[in-house]
Amino acid sequence: MKRYTKALLLSIGLLLAAPMAQATQAKDIQSFTLDNGMKIMVLEDSSIPNANMYLFWKVGSRNEVPGITGISHFFEHMMFNGSKKYGPKMFDRTMEAAGGANNAYTTENLTVYTDWFPANALETIFDLEADRIENLDINEQMVESERGVVASERLTGLENSNWRVLQEELKGAAFRAHPYSWSVIGHESDIAAWTLEDLTEYHKTYYAPNNAVVVIAGDVKLAEVKQLADKYFAPIPAQAPPRAVKTVEPLQKGERRVFVQKASVSTPNVMLGYHIPATSNADYYALDLLSSILTTGNSSRMYQGLVDKQVAIQVDTYMPMSFDPNLFYVMGVANPGVTAPELEDAMISEINRVARDGVTVEELEKVKNIKLMGFYRAMETINGKANTIGTYELFFGSFDKLFNAPEAYNKVTPEDIQRVAQTYLKRANRTVAVLAATEEADQ
Amino acid sequence: MKTQIARLMQPKKLLTAMAVASSLALAGCAATQTSKTVDTGSFSVPAYQKVTLSNGLTVYMMPQHEVPLITVDAIVRAGAVNDTTAGVAEMTATGLMLGAGGKSKLEIEQEVDFLGASLSSGAGKEGSYISSDFMAKDADKMLPLIKDMLVSPDFDATEFDKLRQREIAGLSQAKESPRAVISRYFDKLVFAEHPYGNATSGNSESLAELTIPQLRAFHKSYYQPSNTAISVVGDFEPAQMKVKLEKLFLNWQDSEPVTLVDLSKDLPKFDEADVLLVDKPDAIETTFLIGGMGISRDNPDFVGLTVVNTVLGGRFTSWLNDELRVNAGLTYGARSGFSAYSAAGTFKISTFTQTVTTKETIDLALKTYARLWQQGLDQATLDSAKAYVKGQFPPKYETSGQLVGLMTDMYLYGFDDAFINEFQAKVDGLTLEESKRLIDTYFPKQNLQFVIIGNAAKIAPIAKEHGKVKQVSITEVGFGG
Repeated sequence: MKRYTKALLLSIGLLLAAPMAQATQAKDIQSFTLDNGMKIMVLEDSSIPNANMYLFWKVGSRNEVPGITGISHFFEHMMFNGSKKYGPKMFDRTMEAAGGANNAYTTENLTVYTDWFPANALETIFDLEADRIENLDINEQMVESERGVVASERLTGLENSNWRVLQEELKGAAFRAHPYSWSVIGHESDIAAWTLEDLTEYHKTYYAPNNAVVVIAGDVKLAEVKQLADKYFAPIPAQAPPRAVKTVEPLQKGERRVFVQKASVSTPNVMLGYHIPATSNADYYALDLLSSILTTGNSSRMYQGLVDKQVAIQVDTYMPMSFDPNLFYVMGVANPGVTAPELEDAMISEINRVARDGVTVEELEKVKNIKLMGFYRAMETINGKANTIGTYELFFGSFDKLFNAPEAYNKVTPEDIQRVAQTYLKRANRTVAVLAATEEADQ
Repeated sequence: MKTQIARLMQPKKLLTAMAVASSLALAGCAATQTSKTVDTGSFSVPAYQKVTLSNGLTVYMMPQHEVPLITVDAIVRAGAVNDTTAGVAEMTATGLMLGAGGKSKLEIEQEVDFLGASLSSGAGKEGSYISSDFMAKDADKMLPLIKDMLVSPDFDATEFDKLRQREIAGLSQAKESPRAVISRYFDKLVFAEHPYGNATSGNSESLAELTIPQLRAFHKSYYQPSNTAISVVGDFEPAQMKVKLEKLFLNWQDSEPVTLVDLSKDLPKFDEADVLLVDKPDAIETTFLIGGMGISRDNPDFVGLTVVNTVLGGRFTSWLNDELRVNAGLTYGARSGFSAYSAAGTFKISTFTQTVTTKETIDLALKTYARLWQQGLDQATLDSAKAYVKGQFPPKYETSGQLVGLMTDMYLYGFDDAFINEFQAKVDGLTLEESKRLIDTYFPKQNLQFVIIGNAAKIAPIAKEHGKVKQVSITEVGFGG
């Protein structure tokens, strides 16, 4: 299937350079839906004798409530701890003995399981996944040992990443109603408090086949995947759809601020968070390009305005894909001798310059080229392909949107970039978080 | 995340793991332990050419047409082991980006970014590199740029001062994260004054002393065609690429003999267990490494050791991760591994835990490590590790960037594609007897070396239990030498 892949990419490249007719290669991503509602997408690619299976479950920290924060992530851990046919430890032992490896991650929106294996282990992978989807054994002893692991994960994140420390505090201030308010790993006291009942209910509700999208890419054939999906996944019963997340974050009416003290921080770190719409909003593409204009590459606005001018030693932006309205993050680390207010002013000044003066046509063309290269790199591997297809399916409603994305990026004009900067990246919509060794004294 | 980017280590319930291992053996093949080979499909390295241009420059070319991209790495055989002032190799390499061929730093960056391309440079212990990827249609813009940086960098004074200042600030920032710097402390502890102990980054004092003439001298000494390889992987035609490179580098000639360092000389031997305790007073956990000397990259037992280490600490179900994380819940991850250079290397076990469980975790790590000799491997575990290593091998060489890296390593460490093409057969051929020989020969057993980063006021007594302790503050200049 290498031939297919190249054709797909070329067509996207051409679209970015100059819009053309819709690519016909969308049909090469083959998909089918089982009677129980599980959607499965297949991409045949024989470049290496391997394949992978990505299971995207529509559950993340946004589905939690106070008291059980972090349970989605904790559940991700529990999914490896034994089920009916493959008991404790046997999921990993069986997969590794067949040459496979796995991992998983949880976000605000999704829990994603990744299996990477020699293609001839495909049936073993189906068997393992089906067993834990349908028959997970949630027992007390496993829950207790896994609490220690998750507590350690939380701790090591806070020990080694200033970003984690700051983001946790910033989210808590930026959201006062929506579940994006807490970190994915959850509050420390909640980690200590989950009950078996919480976990059992969570599994039944969210790990239902109708709540999943599965992508299989690699040295496999569609017919083989269909046959195995019928055998292993089709018998798992559907469940009632999970409750909808109804909370809408109220409009922010003025700047909010938080400060975090950590003795070993050598220079201040500043993080800004601006409320923006969900990924499905039409402004997504302009915001994504704006993010690149600000911080991708050494010619970017904030590198030139802050790092090159020795105000910051590092700047970055981050815009997660998101089901509900979320945040556009801007983060900077101060150069020695630069105070937190000076760094903050410089960051905001670059953002305001876009809102006030706009961007050039050339700048916009540059970031479109950067997006295209990024896309090629992602599509160089079977993992990148699986992840990209699944991501578009979930955040844009259909993997077909992968084929519309180039046109959507292409349509963005300098005026759009200026408009989204003016609309969203403004003071009243901003939360500022500062991390430093000591807090500045009152005057 | 279920597992973590940098998993760290230590064991607890020995009996549980032993019971599981023996039940696996029984399930696998009744009472006998016959070896079982898992078929993971065949894999060999894609075809490539290695040629030497008329000026002595080595060129590797591997066409790959899956996406319309080209990846290029230039590698110069010179790194931190050649440092006269700490950090000069790294600053010379990073300094290549500061302007060349009549273009300023900013002009280069604007051009590269506009093409959507990437371009970076840096140094490791033994090599300095320029790394780039770009769309195939832009080869005639990017290749001359890479050549100018490699052959005739400007080392602009204003830009150098700014770079140096950023690097010094970056060193302090890195020390905020124990995980980011612990290996630098470990290499210094193990190799001491041997060149492999040099931190590539240098330190804040050495960087402050560096001058542009030192960078120019380093460049002149090592950046020469007979000491350099260029690897090209991607969407191109090799005959045309060779002509292109020949023409581009026509006027680049060797200027002086390259000074070689004999890295096999004066490698340290340990006559006691040493502990470097790095104090970070506000630490909320303890991060540590335990190990000693390892192997060189061309060691014929490299593949076999990869398999044995997989059992000890190279995968999720490894002994270390199973004991420390799964059974004991003491850590988010524990692992072990060999880092191999051209003439030597290190072996280390790594993990982290809450400050209050430091003692329990270090003890369990050591107890689990001792199983290598006390218990050894059983057939079912060895078979599983062999399947795992083989099955996870092809994705390591899937992208142009990975394949370029492979060829760069072949140049730097002196191995060839037999490493890839004979990999599966070597793994399949590993026996229990052979694994025992590997354990006895290569895994450090006596006089283990420890680096422990944490709150010294609370963990100093624990550090003392494991060897002769030297304590430093994490904010001190350098990495504990």
